[in-house]
Amino acid sequence: MSNPYRLWEIQQRSNTGPFCDENDFLPKIFVPKLKEVIKKYEIKYDPKNPVPADDDLADRLWQAGWELFREVGLYNTDTHRIIKVSDEEIKEALYTASDRYWVGSGKDAVLWKHRQVEDTEPPFCIFSPDCTCSEELHYSMCLAFLKEPLLDGFCAPILEDSMGLKILSASPFEINGSTQHIYNLRLAAKQVGRPGVFLVAVGTAEHDSGQIAVSNNEWGVRTSDSRIIGTLTEFKTADTLFNRVVHCHQYGCYVGNLTGPIYGGWCGGSEGVAVVLVAYSLNGLCIYGANYNQHFPFHLNWVSNTTRELLWPIAVAGQAMARNSKLLYTSNGFANAGPMTEMLFYETACHALVSTVTSWHLWEMASARNKFRNRATPLEARIGMEVGHAVARQGMTREQANEITLKLLDKYESRAADAPMGVEYQECYDVATALPTQEHFDMYRRVKDELAEMGIEFPY
Amino acid sequence: MSVEELCQAVETGDQKKSKLLAQKLMDEGTDPLKIISSLIKVMGKIGDKFSRLEIFLPEMMMSGEAMSEVVQILSPHLKRKGAGQPKGRVILGTVKGDLHDIGKNIVKLMLESNFFEVKDLGVDVDSTDFIKEAETMGADIIGASSLMSTTLPHQKEIIDILKELGLRGKYKVVIGGAPTTQEWADDIGADLYCPDAGSAPKLIINLLKTTLKKASMEEMER
Ligand code: B12
Repeated sequence: MSNPYRLWEIQQRSNTGPFCDENDFLPKIFVPKLKEVIKKYEIKYDPKNPVPADDDLADRLWQAGWELFREVGLYNTDTHRIIKVSDEEIKEALYTASDRYWVGSGKDAVLWKHRQVEDTEPPFCIFSPDCTCSEELHYSMCLAFLKEPLLDGFCAPILEDSMGLKILSASPFEINGSTQHIYNLRLAAKQVGRPGVFLVAVGTAEHDSGQIAVSNNEWGVRTSDSRIIGTLTEFKTADTLFNRVVHCHQYGCYVGNLTGPIYGGWCGGSEGVAVVLVAYSLNGLCIYGANYNQHFPFHLNWVSNTTRELLWPIAVAGQAMARNSKLLYTSNGFANAGPMTEMLFYETACHALVSTVTSWHLWEMASARNKFRNRATPLEARIGMEVGHAVARQGMTREQANEITLKLLDKYESRAADAPMGVEYQECYDVATALPTQEHFDMYRRVKDELAEMGIEFPY
Repeated sequence: MSVEELCQAVETGDQKKSKLLAQKLMDEGTDPLKIISSLIKVMGKIGDKFSRLEIFLPEMMMSGEAMSEVVQILSPHLKRKGAGQPKGRVILGTVKGDLHDIGKNIVKLMLESNFFEVKDLGVDVDSTDFIKEAETMGADIIGASSLMSTTLPHQKEIIDILKELGLRGKYKVVIGGAPTTQEWADDIGADLYCPDAGSAPKLIINLLKTTLKKASMEEMER
């Protein structure tokens, strides 16, 4: 069951909420309140322990996030009004939220459930390169990802062109590209024998029109699939995003709320990012009626989240949400390094380890600062998901996770600012068979063996 | 009571104190140009700190606002001295179809705190609106941000339309955003590409200076 929380009462607040000049919203409303709750709830970043095991801190963070969301609300940049939600409504939405969903269809359907801190149930694994790609590689990349055995869901790369024509957002070319995107996905899913696999689609549709054009249970995005709908960093939205919200709920597919709080930006430091992650989850639930939240906090200069100043907020926010709600949320990895570098494997392993032990589901892996075309592969995601499964199954504690995290950070943290950008997909994958090259596979295997030596008990 | 104290108030983002001190310094007859040149150094320092994330966006914003307050108090005195012109007038926005505005907003802050006058058109801005607004403002620079491969073509569109309207020579077109590169700037004939907000003020000032130099050389040749 999925019930978009009081859809129209909330929508109407875009027109009736308090007016605010957009320039005032962040500096005058959001920032002071955020600073206030960080102080009031004594949220303190500890760089020495990227994976803290402090239940009280987690619970205080939950309170802080709740208060921030309730007091600040969400700003609609089209109507210049603030959508606010009361305590009672947040409670009602949390009470009526479901803690599990069947996603995907037929034999490929998977039950996706809320996780606990140090849960021995493996995380739900959404593979996603989070990058754009050239038309001639799109199908091969879809195949390569869908071949991954641990894949529970897939979000495909974004097409840059279609029929040789550059895709322009909000134009007919985007609708054309969105159609090609979903057809590629459907064919690839069928060819690998997973016709009902859960898809988060289509990324090529950057405008609401593109999304709406591909909703179709026969050939398109199905009601057993999902869309992600962005919240504008920080705490803002727009009518084009609400168009998607309303469409998705009326169509009947699953909705994920996509948020990227920024370390160094309006959130300030690690404490702010942590509070905002919690607040965004409530926002997703109450204002978008989201079934899950898809979070990618990132570093302002590096567009990554594998260094400790970002791992810490991920770790505490996960614990806060696990202990105080039954929500579903994915941790979206963003690495500094690019494909076929050891650094990328370490970064992904570390992000997945921290996230899994602190209750998150996994969404891996944006690489090379999420910036370059064709620069992501399934293999780095695979190592992340394997780490997630392993550490859950072995019942890894936060203390153990903290120790391994520090060892992994030692291997790459100092290179965050000038990380190697690696190679493109077609340079480390065979495009025809959609399998990694031997050199690439060997590197993955080497790093995996090293991780095993550190205490991660892979079943294979 | 000194310029140093004022600089410190700006650095810590104390708007009230900055205003008060600026007013006092004016009353005492301190040279506004001297104050401005000290403040430029302070803002440079703050910009550098922010580039290294030793301070975060809200702190930089507060310093920027404190400085605006000071500039407001100083500006009548500056005008009397025939100084105080902005370094350049900029129309800034994120191109059509694109809602990404974090980078653009930081650029705005950087430019403003370096004494540029900036009009921010927001996100999802039609190419013709960049041009219309530049005409109305009497801008020197059109700054266009794009974060997506699918919206990059609008940066080119702005330049193409400027050419077709016979206005290309009137404005410097500056582009930025993660997927943009020097190569793309060269391809579309943009005047300048900035890899980040920190470098933008300097690069733009250099661009304007070389243009001025060129113009005066041409003038002399004539
Ligand atoms: C944060 C983010 C978001 C946030 C944006 C919030 C906001 N208010 O802006 C949210 C979650 C809302 C979002 C939404 C979407 N996003 Co987005 N997003 C990003 C991400 C990860 C980081 C962008 C960012 O803010 N970086 C930090 C800032 C500080 O850096 P910056 O913008 O580059 O700016 C710096 C410089 O470039 C420069 N600069 C920038 N502009 C200018 C202008 C001038 C004149 C100058 C001088 C300098 C300059 O100065 C800045 C400071 O140093 C990028 C990936 C990336 N690596 O950029 C994807 C990315 C841009 N997003 C992408 C996508 C696909 C989307 C969505 C379509 C997702 C979806 N399916 O809904 C929607 C887009 C909706 C739309 N129509 O716009 C894709 C675009 C793909 C493509 N076709 O190219 C990217 C590239 C990710 C990827 N690799 O796939 N996104």
